[in-house]
Amino acid sequence: MATVSAMLAQRTRHRVRSGTLVLIALLAGIGFVGIGPALFATLMSGNGSGGCGTGPAGSGTSIVLGAPGNGRLVGATEYGGPGDPSSGSTGARGDNLLAHPDTYAELGGLTWQTASAMGGLAYMTPLRVTSGERSAIAYKRDFGFGGGPVAGLPRVIDLWWQFAERLGIPYENGLWSGAIRIQRPPASGAANTLGQAAGADSALAPAPSRACTAALSGALTLTPGERARLLPGGLAAAPASAPSAVKAIIAAGNQIVGKPYVYGAAHGQPLSEVAPAYDCSSSVEHLLYGGRLLPVDYGAASSELESFGEPGSGRWLTLYASAAHVFMYVAGLRWDTHDAAGPGDGSQGIGWHPLVRSAAGFVARHPAGL
Amino acid sequence: MSSARHVRQGLVLVLVAALSACAPLGSGADHPAPPSKLTQAQARHEYPAPPAPPERVPQGAPTAADAVRGFAIAYINWTAATVSARMRALAALSVGQARAAMELAAAQTAGDYELKRGGIANHGTVEAVAPLGSRRDQFVVVTRERTTATNSAAYAGLRPAWHVAVANAAQVAPGAWVVSRWQPQS
Repeated sequence: MATVSAMLAQRTRHRVRSGTLVLIALLAGIGFVGIGPALFATLMSGNGSGGCGTGPAGSGTSIVLGAPGNGRLVGATEYGGPGDPSSGSTGARGDNLLAHPDTYAELGGLTWQTASAMGGLAYMTPLRVTSGERSAIAYKRDFGFGGGPVAGLPRVIDLWWQFAERLGIPYENGLWSGAIRIQRPPASGAANTLGQAAGADSALAPAPSRACTAALSGALTLTPGERARLLPGGLAAAPASAPSAVKAIIAAGNQIVGKPYVYGAAHGQPLSEVAPAYDCSSSVEHLLYGGRLLPVDYGAASSELESFGEPGSGRWLTLYASAAHVFMYVAGLRWDTHDAAGPGDGSQGIGWHPLVRSAAGFVARHPAGL
Repeated sequence: MSSARHVRQGLVLVLVAALSACAPLGSGADHPAPPSKLTQAQARHEYPAPPAPPERVPQGAPTAADAVRGFAIAYINWTAATVSARMRALAALSVGQARAAMELAAAQTAGDYELKRGGIANHGTVEAVAPLGSRRDQFVVVTRERTTATNSAAYAGLRPAWHVAVANAAQVAPGAWVVSRWQPQS
Protein backbone atom coordinates (compact mmCIF):
# COMPACT_ATOMS: atom_id res chain seq x y z
CA MET A 1 0.00 0.00 0.00
CA ALA A 2 2.87 2.31 0.81
CA THR A 3 4.23 1.63 -2.64
CA VAL A 4 0.96 2.44 -4.18
CA SER A 5 0.68 5.66 -2.20
CA ALA A 6 4.17 6.75 -3.09
CA MET A 7 3.57 5.97 -6.69
CA LEU A 8 0.35 7.92 -6.72
CA ALA A 9 1.93 10.85 -4.99
CA GLN A 10 4.69 11.06 -7.52
CA ARG A 11 3.31 10.19 -10.85
CA THR A 12 0.30 10.41 -13.04
CA ARG A 13 -0.04 9.04 -16.51
CA HIS A 14 -2.64 10.53 -18.74
CA ARG A 15 -3.47 7.14 -20.13
CA VAL A 16 -4.10 3.88 -18.42
CA ARG A 17 -1.71 1.35 -19.87
CA SER A 18 -2.27 -1.77 -17.83
CA GLY A 19 -4.57 -3.56 -15.48
CA THR A 20 -2.30 -2.63 -12.60
CA LEU A 21 -2.66 1.01 -13.36
CA VAL A 22 -6.39 0.59 -13.67
CA LEU A 23 -6.51 -0.89 -10.18
CA ILE A 24 -4.30 1.87 -8.82
CA ALA A 25 -6.40 4.42 -10.54
CA LEU A 26 -9.60 3.01 -9.18
CA LEU A 27 -8.23 3.01 -5.67
CA ALA A 28 -6.95 6.52 -5.92
CA GLY A 29 -9.94 7.79 -7.78
CA ILE A 30 -12.17 7.45 -4.77
CA GLY A 31 -10.62 10.63 -3.50
CA PHE A 32 -11.80 12.53 -6.51
CA VAL A 33 -15.46 12.19 -5.87
CA GLY A 34 -16.83 15.64 -5.21
CA ILE A 35 -13.77 17.58 -6.22
CA GLY A 36 -14.87 18.23 -9.76
CA PRO A 37 -18.06 20.16 -9.17
CA ALA A 38 -16.52 22.33 -6.49
CA LEU A 39 -13.51 23.25 -8.57
CA PHE A 40 -15.72 23.78 -11.58
CA ALA A 41 -17.73 26.31 -9.65
CA THR A 42 -14.57 28.08 -8.60
CA LEU A 43 -13.29 28.21 -12.13
CA MET A 44 -16.54 29.58 -13.39
CA SER A 45 -16.63 32.37 -10.86
CA GLY A 46 -12.96 33.08 -10.53
CA ASN A 47 -11.81 36.63 -10.90
CA GLY A 48 -14.54 37.68 -13.23
CA SER A 49 -12.78 36.22 -16.17
CA GLY A 50 -13.47 33.32 -18.39
CA GLY A 51 -13.21 31.91 -21.85
CA CYS A 52 -16.13 31.67 -24.19
CA GLY A 53 -15.82 28.01 -24.73
CA THR A 54 -15.11 28.47 -28.38
CA GLY A 55 -11.88 26.72 -29.02
CA PRO A 56 -9.20 28.15 -31.19
CA ALA A 57 -8.54 26.56 -34.48
CA GLY A 58 -5.00 27.68 -34.85
CA SER A 59 -2.11 25.29 -34.79
CA GLY A 60 0.79 27.50 -33.86
CA THR A 61 3.46 26.13 -31.61
CA SER A 62 4.44 29.21 -29.66
CA ILE A 63 3.71 29.49 -25.99
CA VAL A 64 3.38 33.13 -25.02
CA LEU A 65 4.35 33.88 -21.49
CA GLY A 66 2.35 36.52 -19.69
CA ALA A 67 2.08 38.19 -16.35
CA PRO A 68 1.29 35.87 -13.45
CA GLY A 69 -2.37 35.05 -13.21
CA ASN A 70 -4.42 34.59 -10.12
CA GLY A 71 -6.99 31.86 -10.13
CA ARG A 72 -7.24 28.71 -8.14
CA LEU A 73 -4.28 26.90 -6.59
CA VAL A 74 -4.42 23.25 -7.59
CA GLY A 75 -2.26 20.18 -7.68
CA ALA A 76 -0.60 19.43 -11.01
CA THR A 77 1.66 16.89 -12.61
CA GLU A 78 3.54 16.70 -15.88
CA TYR A 79 3.51 14.01 -18.54
CA GLY A 80 5.22 13.07 -21.75
CA GLY A 81 8.73 13.63 -23.00
CA PRO A 82 11.71 11.33 -23.41
CA GLY A 83 11.58 10.08 -19.84
CA ASP A 84 7.93 9.10 -20.11
CA PRO A 85 7.62 7.12 -23.33
CA SER A 86 4.46 5.36 -22.25
CA SER A 87 2.50 8.59 -22.58
CA GLY A 88 3.43 8.89 -26.25
CA SER A 89 2.91 12.16 -28.06
CA THR A 90 -0.64 11.90 -29.35
CA GLY A 91 -3.57 13.47 -27.55
CA ALA A 92 -6.77 11.63 -26.86
CA ARG A 93 -8.33 13.12 -29.98
CA GLY A 94 -5.36 12.46 -32.17
CA ASP A 95 -3.58 15.79 -31.82
CA ASN A 96 0.16 15.71 -32.28
CA LEU A 97 1.19 17.15 -28.96
CA LEU A 98 4.72 17.84 -30.10
CA ALA A 99 3.19 20.24 -32.62
CA HIS A 100 0.83 21.60 -29.95
CA PRO A 101 2.95 21.91 -26.85
CA ASP A 102 0.47 24.27 -25.17
CA THR A 103 -1.52 21.28 -23.97
CA TYR A 104 -2.97 20.12 -20.69
CA ALA A 105 -5.01 17.10 -19.70
CA GLU A 106 -7.93 17.26 -17.32
CA LEU A 107 -7.73 14.51 -14.75
CA GLY A 108 -10.20 12.47 -12.80
CA GLY A 109 -11.45 9.72 -15.07
CA LEU A 110 -10.94 7.21 -17.80
CA THR A 111 -12.97 9.00 -20.50
CA TRP A 112 -13.62 12.52 -21.73
CA GLN A 113 -16.85 12.42 -19.78
CA THR A 114 -15.50 11.15 -16.49
CA ALA A 115 -12.20 13.03 -16.41
CA SER A 116 -13.89 16.01 -14.84
CA ALA A 117 -11.70 17.14 -11.98
CA MET A 118 -12.13 20.70 -13.28
CA GLY A 119 -15.78 20.32 -14.05
CA GLY A 120 -15.45 18.57 -17.37
CA LEU A 121 -14.01 21.32 -19.54
CA ALA A 122 -14.68 21.11 -23.25
CA TYR A 123 -12.01 20.01 -25.68
CA MET A 124 -9.74 22.97 -26.45
CA THR A 125 -10.85 25.02 -23.47
CA PRO A 126 -8.09 27.53 -22.75
CA LEU A 127 -6.68 27.90 -19.25
CA ARG A 128 -4.15 30.36 -17.96
CA VAL A 129 -1.62 28.35 -16.00
CA THR A 130 0.72 30.14 -13.62
CA SER A 131 3.75 28.63 -11.97
CA GLY A 132 5.74 31.02 -9.86
CA GLU A 133 6.16 34.19 -11.88
CA ARG A 134 5.52 32.56 -15.25
CA SER A 135 2.18 32.26 -16.89
CA ALA A 136 0.86 31.02 -20.22
CA ILE A 137 -2.27 29.74 -21.89
CA ALA A 138 -2.72 26.02 -22.48
CA TYR A 139 -5.55 24.18 -24.24
CA LYS A 140 -7.25 20.97 -23.24
CA ARG A 141 -6.32 18.30 -25.72
CA ASP A 142 -6.15 15.33 -23.41
CA PHE A 143 -7.48 13.72 -20.27
CA GLY A 144 -6.14 11.38 -17.67
CA PHE A 145 -7.03 9.59 -14.50
CA GLY A 146 -4.77 11.36 -12.06
CA GLY A 147 -4.17 10.32 -8.51
CA GLY A 148 -4.07 11.47 -4.95
CA PRO A 149 -3.60 15.02 -3.72
CA VAL A 150 -0.47 17.00 -4.49
CA ALA A 151 0.86 19.05 -1.61
CA GLY A 152 -2.55 18.79 -0.02
CA LEU A 153 -4.27 20.10 -3.12
CA PRO A 154 -6.60 18.16 -5.39
CA ARG A 155 -4.73 16.80 -8.39
CA VAL A 156 -6.72 18.05 -11.34
CA ILE A 157 -4.40 18.81 -14.23
CA ASP A 158 -1.58 17.18 -16.14
CA LEU A 159 0.73 19.54 -18.03
CA TRP A 160 2.36 18.45 -21.26
CA TRP A 161 6.06 18.40 -20.52
CA GLN A 162 7.01 21.06 -23.10
CA PHE A 163 4.43 23.43 -21.66
CA ALA A 164 5.60 22.75 -18.14
CA GLU A 165 9.17 23.39 -19.23
CA ARG A 166 8.15 26.75 -20.69
CA LEU A 167 6.76 27.68 -17.30
CA GLY A 168 10.11 26.91 -15.73
CA ILE A 169 9.02 23.62 -14.23
CA PRO A 170 11.99 21.24 -14.15
CA TYR A 171 11.61 18.15 -16.28
CA GLU A 172 11.66 15.06 -14.09
CA ASN A 173 10.89 12.41 -16.69
CA GLY A 174 7.19 12.89 -16.20
CA LEU A 175 7.41 12.58 -12.43
CA TRP A 176 7.14 16.22 -11.41
CA SER A 177 4.21 17.26 -9.29
CA GLY A 178 3.45 20.53 -7.58
CA ALA A 179 1.07 23.42 -7.10
CA ILE A 180 0.08 25.79 -9.89
CA ARG A 181 -2.63 28.34 -10.43
CA ILE A 182 -5.28 27.90 -13.07
CA GLN A 183 -7.64 30.56 -14.36
CA ARG A 184 -10.04 30.92 -17.24
CA PRO A 185 -8.93 33.70 -19.58
CA PRO A 186 -11.47 36.28 -20.72
CA ALA A 187 -13.81 35.38 -23.52
CA SER A 188 -12.41 36.50 -26.84
CA GLY A 189 -14.02 37.66 -30.03
CA ALA A 190 -16.12 40.73 -30.75
CA ALA A 191 -19.44 39.29 -29.64
CA ASN A 192 -18.10 38.07 -26.31
CA THR A 193 -16.17 41.25 -25.68
CA LEU A 194 -19.25 43.31 -26.41
CA GLY A 195 -21.47 41.02 -24.35
CA GLN A 196 -23.64 40.08 -27.32
CA ALA A 197 -22.94 36.38 -27.73
CA ALA A 198 -25.89 34.12 -27.21
CA GLY A 199 -24.38 32.46 -24.18
CA ALA A 200 -23.52 35.69 -22.43
CA ASP A 201 -26.78 35.70 -20.49
CA SER A 202 -26.70 32.16 -19.34
CA ALA A 203 -25.86 31.55 -15.74
CA LEU A 204 -24.37 28.27 -16.88
CA ALA A 205 -22.14 29.82 -19.49
CA PRO A 206 -18.75 28.32 -18.90
CA ALA A 207 -17.00 31.62 -19.20
CA PRO A 208 -18.69 34.99 -18.99
CA SER A 209 -17.42 37.60 -21.37
CA ARG A 210 -15.49 40.63 -20.27
CA ALA A 211 -18.51 42.82 -20.73
CA CYS A 212 -20.87 40.34 -19.19
CA THR A 213 -22.16 41.66 -15.92
CA ALA A 214 -23.40 38.39 -14.58
CA ALA A 215 -20.95 38.69 -11.72
CA LEU A 216 -23.11 41.48 -10.39
CA SER A 217 -26.27 39.54 -10.49
CA GLY A 218 -25.97 36.56 -8.28
CA ALA A 219 -29.17 34.66 -8.89
CA LEU A 220 -31.42 36.92 -10.91
CA THR A 221 -35.02 35.79 -11.11
CA LEU A 222 -36.51 35.96 -14.57
CA THR A 223 -40.14 36.50 -15.43
CA PRO A 224 -41.80 35.85 -18.78
CA GLY A 225 -42.47 38.72 -21.12
CA GLU A 226 -41.09 42.22 -21.32
CA ARG A 227 -42.00 43.63 -17.93
CA ALA A 228 -40.05 43.42 -14.72
CA ARG A 229 -42.00 42.11 -11.75
CA LEU A 230 -41.74 43.24 -8.16
CA LEU A 231 -41.09 40.30 -5.87
CA PRO A 232 -42.40 40.09 -2.32
CA GLY A 233 -39.04 40.86 -0.74
CA GLY A 234 -38.60 44.07 -2.70
CA LEU A 235 -36.34 42.60 -5.36
CA ALA A 236 -37.27 42.69 -9.01
CA ALA A 237 -37.53 39.81 -11.45
CA ALA A 238 -36.10 40.70 -14.84
CA PRO A 239 -38.04 40.09 -18.02
CA ALA A 240 -36.75 36.99 -19.72
CA SER A 241 -36.82 38.69 -23.10
CA ALA A 242 -34.94 41.80 -22.00
CA PRO A 243 -31.48 42.57 -23.36
CA SER A 244 -28.62 41.49 -21.16
CA ALA A 245 -27.92 45.10 -20.22
CA VAL A 246 -31.43 45.47 -18.80
CA LYS A 247 -31.06 42.29 -16.80
CA ALA A 248 -27.74 43.50 -15.49
CA ILE A 249 -29.29 46.84 -14.49
CA ILE A 250 -32.03 45.06 -12.59
CA ALA A 251 -29.48 42.79 -10.96
CA ALA A 252 -27.47 45.82 -9.88
CA GLY A 253 -30.62 47.34 -8.43
CA ASN A 254 -31.36 44.20 -6.49
CA GLN A 255 -27.91 44.49 -4.96
CA ILE A 256 -28.81 47.71 -3.17
CA VAL A 257 -32.56 47.46 -2.63
CA GLY A 258 -33.45 48.77 0.81
CA LYS A 259 -30.23 50.71 1.37
CA PRO A 260 -30.92 53.86 3.36
CA TYR A 261 -31.18 57.17 1.59
CA VAL A 262 -28.43 59.57 2.64
CA TYR A 263 -27.95 62.74 0.65
CA GLY A 264 -24.55 62.69 -1.04
CA ALA A 265 -23.84 59.08 -0.14
CA ALA A 266 -21.79 56.78 -2.39
CA HIS A 267 -20.51 59.58 -4.59
CA GLY A 268 -16.79 59.18 -5.14
CA GLN A 269 -16.92 55.45 -4.64
CA PRO A 270 -16.42 53.14 -7.62
CA LEU A 271 -19.78 52.15 -9.03
CA SER A 272 -18.69 48.53 -9.00
CA GLU A 273 -18.82 48.52 -5.21
CA VAL A 274 -21.82 48.42 -2.91
CA ALA A 275 -22.04 51.38 -0.54
CA PRO A 276 -23.74 51.44 2.85
CA ALA A 277 -26.12 54.17 1.67
CA TYR A 278 -27.11 55.99 -1.50
CA ASP A 279 -28.84 59.09 -2.68
CA CYS A 280 -30.98 59.27 -5.78
CA SER A 281 -28.25 59.91 -8.31
CA SER A 282 -25.63 57.57 -6.87
CA SER A 283 -28.15 54.73 -6.77
CA VAL A 284 -29.26 55.34 -10.34
CA GLU A 285 -25.63 55.47 -11.41
CA HIS A 286 -24.94 52.17 -9.67
CA LEU A 287 -27.67 50.58 -11.75
CA LEU A 288 -26.55 52.18 -14.99
CA TYR A 289 -23.03 50.95 -14.34
CA GLY A 290 -24.50 47.48 -13.88
CA GLY A 291 -25.54 47.67 -17.51
CA ARG A 292 -22.15 49.15 -18.38
CA LEU A 293 -23.80 52.38 -19.43
CA LEU A 294 -21.52 54.52 -17.26
CA PRO A 295 -17.83 54.32 -16.43
CA VAL A 296 -16.99 52.87 -13.07
CA ASP A 297 -15.76 56.20 -11.73
CA TYR A 298 -18.80 58.23 -12.77
CA GLY A 299 -20.20 60.19 -9.86
CA ALA A 300 -22.19 63.13 -11.14
CA ALA A 301 -25.21 64.69 -9.51
CA SER A 302 -28.72 64.30 -10.86
CA SER A 303 -28.56 67.46 -12.94
CA GLU A 304 -25.81 66.00 -15.11
CA LEU A 305 -27.99 63.03 -15.87
CA GLU A 306 -30.30 65.43 -17.69
CA SER A 307 -27.97 64.96 -20.64
CA PHE A 308 -27.58 61.19 -20.26
CA GLY A 309 -28.00 59.12 -23.40
CA GLU A 310 -30.63 60.33 -25.82
CA PRO A 311 -33.73 62.44 -25.30
CA GLY A 312 -37.13 60.95 -24.69
CA SER A 313 -38.42 57.61 -23.52
CA GLY A 314 -36.73 54.33 -24.20
CA ARG A 315 -38.25 50.98 -24.83
CA TRP A 316 -36.66 49.39 -21.79
CA LEU A 317 -35.28 52.21 -19.72
CA THR A 318 -36.35 55.81 -19.24
CA LEU A 319 -34.52 58.06 -16.86
CA TYR A 320 -36.15 61.22 -15.46
CA ALA A 321 -33.68 63.81 -14.24
CA SER A 322 -33.87 67.32 -12.88
CA ALA A 323 -31.57 69.53 -10.89
CA ALA A 324 -33.06 68.17 -7.68
CA HIS A 325 -33.83 64.52 -8.29
CA VAL A 326 -33.50 61.57 -10.63
CA PHE A 327 -35.43 58.35 -10.97
CA MET A 328 -36.00 55.87 -13.75
CA TYR A 329 -38.18 53.10 -15.08
CA VAL A 330 -36.55 49.82 -15.98
CA ALA A 331 -38.78 47.42 -17.88
CA GLY A 332 -41.80 49.06 -16.32
CA LEU A 333 -40.63 49.17 -12.71
CA ARG A 334 -39.66 52.46 -11.17
CA TRP A 335 -36.33 52.81 -9.40
CA ASP A 336 -36.61 55.62 -6.91
CA THR A 337 -35.98 56.77 -3.40
CA HIS A 338 -38.22 56.51 -0.36
CA ASP A 339 -41.82 57.62 -0.79
CA ALA A 340 -40.87 59.48 -3.90
CA ALA A 341 -44.43 59.31 -5.22
CA GLY A 342 -45.74 60.74 -1.96
CA PRO A 343 -46.37 59.38 1.50
CA GLY A 344 -47.79 55.91 1.54
CA ASP A 345 -46.74 54.90 -1.92
CA GLY A 346 -45.78 51.55 -0.51
CA SER A 347 -42.04 51.89 -0.87
CA GLN A 348 -39.33 51.72 1.71
CA GLY A 349 -35.90 53.20 1.20
CA ILE A 350 -34.12 53.03 -2.11
CA GLY A 351 -35.52 50.42 -4.40
CA TRP A 352 -38.10 49.27 -6.87
CA HIS A 353 -41.48 50.92 -6.71
CA PRO A 354 -44.72 49.50 -7.97
CA LEU A 355 -46.34 52.84 -8.76
CA VAL A 356 -45.64 55.49 -11.32
CA ARG A 357 -45.11 59.08 -10.29
CA SER A 358 -45.46 62.39 -11.99
CA ALA A 359 -42.58 63.25 -14.24
CA ALA A 360 -43.47 66.94 -14.43
CA GLY A 361 -40.34 69.05 -14.27
CA PHE A 362 -38.06 66.18 -15.24
CA VAL A 363 -36.14 65.61 -18.43
CA ALA A 364 -36.71 62.18 -19.95
CA ARG A 365 -33.62 60.42 -21.31
CA HIS A 366 -32.80 56.92 -22.41
CA PRO A 367 -29.72 54.99 -23.46
CA ALA A 368 -29.42 54.37 -27.16
CA GLY A 369 -30.83 51.04 -28.12
CA LEU A 370 -32.72 50.57 -24.88
CA MET B 1 -91.13 55.35 11.11
CA SER B 2 -89.64 58.80 11.10
CA SER B 3 -86.21 57.32 11.02
CA ALA B 4 -87.06 55.06 8.08
CA ARG B 5 -88.47 57.96 6.10
CA HIS B 6 -85.27 59.92 6.66
CA VAL B 7 -83.27 57.01 5.36
CA ARG B 8 -85.37 56.79 2.18
CA GLN B 9 -85.05 60.53 1.63
CA GLY B 10 -81.31 60.23 2.06
CA LEU B 11 -81.06 57.47 -0.50
CA VAL B 12 -83.00 59.53 -3.02
CA LEU B 13 -80.66 62.48 -2.48
CA VAL B 14 -77.62 60.31 -2.95
CA LEU B 15 -79.05 58.86 -6.16
CA VAL B 16 -79.82 62.31 -7.53
CA ALA B 17 -76.40 63.54 -6.65
CA ALA B 18 -74.79 60.55 -8.29
CA LEU B 19 -76.76 60.97 -11.49
CA SER B 20 -75.99 64.66 -11.65
CA ALA B 21 -72.30 63.93 -11.33
CA CYS B 22 -72.37 61.62 -14.33
CA ALA B 23 -72.31 62.58 -17.95
CA PRO B 24 -75.57 63.85 -19.45
CA LEU B 25 -78.14 61.14 -19.83
CA GLY B 26 -77.98 59.37 -23.13
CA SER B 27 -74.41 60.35 -23.85
CA GLY B 28 -71.21 58.53 -23.05
CA ALA B 29 -72.79 55.33 -21.87
CA ASP B 30 -71.73 53.55 -25.05
CA HIS B 31 -68.49 55.48 -25.52
CA PRO B 32 -66.71 55.88 -22.17
CA ALA B 33 -63.90 58.36 -22.11
CA PRO B 34 -60.50 56.70 -22.58
CA PRO B 35 -58.45 56.44 -19.40
CA SER B 36 -55.85 59.09 -18.89
CA LYS B 37 -52.21 58.34 -19.53
CA LEU B 38 -51.61 58.41 -15.81
CA THR B 39 -54.39 55.88 -15.21
CA GLN B 40 -52.98 53.63 -17.89
CA ALA B 41 -49.54 53.99 -16.46
CA GLN B 42 -50.71 53.12 -12.96
CA ALA B 43 -52.34 50.00 -14.30
CA ARG B 44 -49.45 48.94 -16.46
CA HIS B 45 -46.59 50.33 -14.38
CA GLU B 46 -45.13 52.21 -17.29
CA TYR B 47 -45.79 55.15 -19.51
CA PRO B 48 -46.61 54.29 -23.09
CA ALA B 49 -43.60 54.86 -25.27
CA PRO B 50 -43.93 56.96 -28.40
CA PRO B 51 -43.93 55.08 -31.67
CA ALA B 52 -40.51 54.23 -32.95
CA PRO B 53 -39.22 56.63 -35.59
CA PRO B 54 -38.99 55.28 -39.11
CA GLU B 55 -35.66 53.66 -39.87
CA ARG B 56 -33.77 54.97 -42.84
CA VAL B 57 -30.54 53.68 -44.25
CA PRO B 58 -28.47 55.75 -46.63
CA GLN B 59 -27.38 52.85 -48.78
CA GLY B 60 -27.44 49.10 -49.09
CA ALA B 61 -25.36 46.32 -50.54
CA PRO B 62 -26.23 44.82 -53.93
CA THR B 63 -26.87 41.39 -52.43
CA ALA B 64 -27.91 40.05 -49.07
CA ALA B 65 -24.65 38.14 -48.70
CA ASP B 66 -22.65 41.27 -49.44
CA ALA B 67 -24.54 43.16 -46.77
CA VAL B 68 -23.90 40.46 -44.20
CA ARG B 69 -20.24 40.13 -45.10
CA GLY B 70 -19.64 43.87 -44.91
CA PHE B 71 -21.43 44.07 -41.60
CA ALA B 72 -19.42 41.19 -40.18
CA ILE B 73 -16.09 42.66 -41.24
CA ALA B 74 -16.88 45.93 -39.51
CA TYR B 75 -18.28 44.20 -36.44
CA ILE B 76 -15.14 42.23 -35.68
CA ASN B 77 -12.47 44.82 -36.50
CA TRP B 78 -12.11 47.63 -34.00
CA THR B 79 -10.04 49.05 -31.19
CA ALA B 80 -11.13 50.54 -27.92
CA ALA B 81 -10.81 53.95 -29.54
CA THR B 82 -12.92 53.11 -32.57
CA VAL B 83 -15.43 50.56 -31.36
CA SER B 84 -18.16 52.98 -30.35
CA ALA B 85 -18.06 54.89 -33.62
CA ARG B 86 -17.88 51.62 -35.50
CA MET B 87 -20.98 50.29 -33.79
CA ARG B 88 -22.78 53.58 -34.38
CA ALA B 89 -21.92 53.39 -38.06
CA LEU B 90 -23.18 49.82 -38.21
CA ALA B 91 -26.42 50.92 -36.57
CA ALA B 92 -26.89 53.55 -39.25
CA LEU B 93 -26.39 50.93 -41.94
CA SER B 94 -28.82 48.37 -40.52
CA VAL B 95 -32.45 48.08 -39.50
CA GLY B 96 -34.52 46.30 -36.90
CA GLN B 97 -32.89 44.22 -34.22
CA ALA B 98 -29.46 44.70 -35.72
CA ARG B 99 -29.79 48.45 -35.48
CA ALA B 100 -30.98 48.30 -31.88
CA ALA B 101 -28.17 45.94 -30.93
CA MET B 102 -25.54 48.14 -32.55
CA GLU B 103 -26.94 51.28 -30.94
CA LEU B 104 -26.77 49.58 -27.59
CA ALA B 105 -23.22 48.41 -28.23
CA ALA B 106 -22.25 51.93 -29.29
CA ALA B 107 -23.69 53.40 -26.11
CA GLN B 108 -22.13 50.81 -23.85
CA THR B 109 -18.69 50.98 -25.37
CA ALA B 110 -18.67 54.76 -25.35
CA GLY B 111 -18.55 54.73 -21.58
CA ASP B 112 -16.75 51.47 -21.01
CA TYR B 113 -13.88 52.37 -18.78
CA GLU B 114 -12.38 48.88 -18.68
CA LEU B 115 -12.38 48.62 -22.44
CA LYS B 116 -10.41 51.82 -22.81
CA ARG B 117 -8.12 51.27 -19.86
CA GLY B 118 -7.18 47.82 -21.10
CA GLY B 119 -6.67 48.98 -24.65
CA ILE B 120 -8.77 46.10 -25.87
CA ALA B 121 -9.02 45.50 -29.59
CA ASN B 122 -10.53 42.81 -31.77
CA HIS B 123 -9.44 41.81 -35.24
CA GLY B 124 -10.43 39.04 -37.54
CA THR B 125 -11.48 37.78 -40.90
CA VAL B 126 -14.78 36.58 -42.26
CA GLU B 127 -14.15 33.00 -43.27
CA ALA B 128 -17.58 32.08 -44.57
CA VAL B 129 -21.02 33.53 -45.23
CA ALA B 130 -23.37 30.69 -46.10
CA PRO B 131 -27.13 30.68 -46.63
CA LEU B 132 -29.00 29.03 -43.82
CA GLY B 133 -31.26 26.39 -45.29
CA SER B 134 -33.12 27.54 -48.36
CA ARG B 135 -33.71 31.07 -47.20
CA ARG B 136 -32.11 33.79 -49.24
CA ASP B 137 -32.19 36.31 -46.41
CA GLN B 138 -30.65 34.31 -43.56
CA PHE B 139 -27.00 33.37 -43.26
CA VAL B 140 -24.56 31.72 -40.96
CA VAL B 141 -21.37 33.72 -40.62
CA VAL B 142 -18.09 32.17 -39.56
CA THR B 143 -15.31 34.45 -38.42
CA ARG B 144 -11.87 33.90 -37.02
CA GLU B 145 -10.98 36.52 -34.46
CA ARG B 146 -8.29 37.51 -32.05
CA THR B 147 -8.83 39.78 -29.08
CA THR B 148 -5.88 41.69 -27.68
CA ALA B 149 -5.21 44.21 -24.94
CA THR B 150 -2.33 46.65 -24.93
CA ASN B 151 -2.57 47.44 -21.24
CA SER B 152 -3.62 44.10 -19.86
CA ALA B 153 -2.14 40.63 -19.82
CA ALA B 154 -5.54 38.99 -19.73
CA TYR B 155 -5.58 38.03 -23.41
CA ALA B 156 -1.86 37.31 -23.74
CA GLY B 157 -1.28 33.96 -25.39
CA LEU B 158 -4.86 33.41 -26.51
CA ARG B 159 -4.98 32.17 -30.05
CA PRO B 160 -7.40 33.30 -32.74
CA ALA B 161 -10.67 31.46 -32.40
CA TRP B 162 -13.61 30.58 -34.60
CA HIS B 163 -16.88 32.32 -33.94
CA VAL B 164 -20.33 31.92 -35.42
CA ALA B 165 -23.19 34.37 -35.93
CA VAL B 166 -26.58 34.10 -37.57
CA ALA B 167 -27.62 37.11 -39.64
CA ASN B 168 -30.73 38.19 -41.49
CA ALA B 169 -30.78 40.68 -44.32
CA ALA B 170 -33.63 42.82 -45.55
CA GLN B 171 -34.11 44.48 -48.89
CA VAL B 172 -34.82 48.17 -48.33
CA ALA B 173 -34.85 49.16 -51.99
CA PRO B 174 -34.28 47.44 -55.30
CA GLY B 175 -30.72 46.17 -55.19
CA ALA B 176 -30.17 47.52 -51.69
CA TRP B 177 -29.78 45.02 -48.84
CA VAL B 178 -29.00 45.72 -45.22
CA VAL B 179 -28.62 43.58 -42.13
CA SER B 180 -31.80 43.36 -40.07
CA ARG B 181 -30.78 40.82 -37.42
CA TRP B 182 -27.39 39.98 -35.99
CA GLN B 183 -27.22 37.16 -33.49
CA PRO B 184 -23.73 36.09 -32.46
CA GLN B 185 -23.71 32.55 -31.16
CA SER B 186 -20.19 32.54 -29.79
